Amino acid sequence: MGILLYFALLAAPATAQESPKLSDAEVASVAVIANQIDIDQARLAQERSENEAVLQFAQTMINDHEAVIKQATDLVQKLGVTPQENAVGKQLQANAAKTAKMLQTKSGAAFDKAYVDNEVAYHQAVISAVKDLLIPESENEELRGLLESIVPALQAHLEHAQMLQNQLNEK
Amino acid sequence: MKTLKLLPVDLSLLGLMLLCTTFAPLPKPKVHTIEISQMQFKPAALVVSAGDTLVFVNKDMVSHNATEQSGTSWKSPTLASGDSWRMAITKSAAYYCTFHPTMKGEVKVE
Ligand SMILES: [Cu+2]
Repeated sequence: MGILLYFALLAAPATAQESPKLSDAEVASVAVIANQIDIDQARLAQERSENEAVLQFAQTMINDHEAVIKQATDLVQKLGVTPQENAVGKQLQANAAKTAKMLQTKSGAAFDKAYVDNEVAYHQAVISAVKDLLIPESENEELRGLLESIVPALQAHLEHAQMLQNQLNEK
Repeated sequence: MKTLKLLPVDLSLLGLMLLCTTFAPLPKPKVHTIEISQMQFKPAALVVSAGDTLVFVNKDMVSHNATEQSGTSWKSPTLASGDSWRMAITKSAAYYCTFHPTMKGEVKVE
């Protein structure tokens, strides 16, 4: 939830002002970090979960977010942009580190529930961040196009995570 | 002169065409393309004839598959970005993507 709040606070002044707060190099960096975080958390799930549905979901997260990173890396290379570290990306990483620490204390069904709950919250936060912050901040059309094209995948991941959440709650 | 010369040719062509239509066998099997893009099968619902061919084409950057709902009848291999896969369809089926279970489609064989 912290991520969502942080994105909301950051996006609000940016939409009110005319000048963008993030350069394309910074947008690209945030996009790669946001995808990498989900891959890292999926790897943690592969280590700690024994639930077949959760493991399959984690594998999809790894495959899909790696595909997005590859696409983003190819694009920035083509555009000659070097992704640049920034406050938004650092905040994301700090939050992810906290989440990873929390997940590492759990195992079995408690881990599955905590992981899936976090995936629901994380995808919700990332979807709004991409729509309300990263897309409006992108000046390059191709970068904006790439960000727009990943929203349906993020949406499908969210629905998948919500489906798992319901299944785990029924048990 | 000109008309006279062409007429027999036209007539025989017409006859040939009539012959073909009269003795035409069953309609030729059709090929239906199902595009996978933006995490959707497009079209998600399709009506076909038995023996028609389905071609799944993945236009997304992420991998997908098409798997018959029960998981026992048919399943495509993993379709990476740009891949396509074809199959002859003989029975109505509901299908989905095992990687993204919210992606669903349906083919009705009539
Ligand atoms: Cu899929």
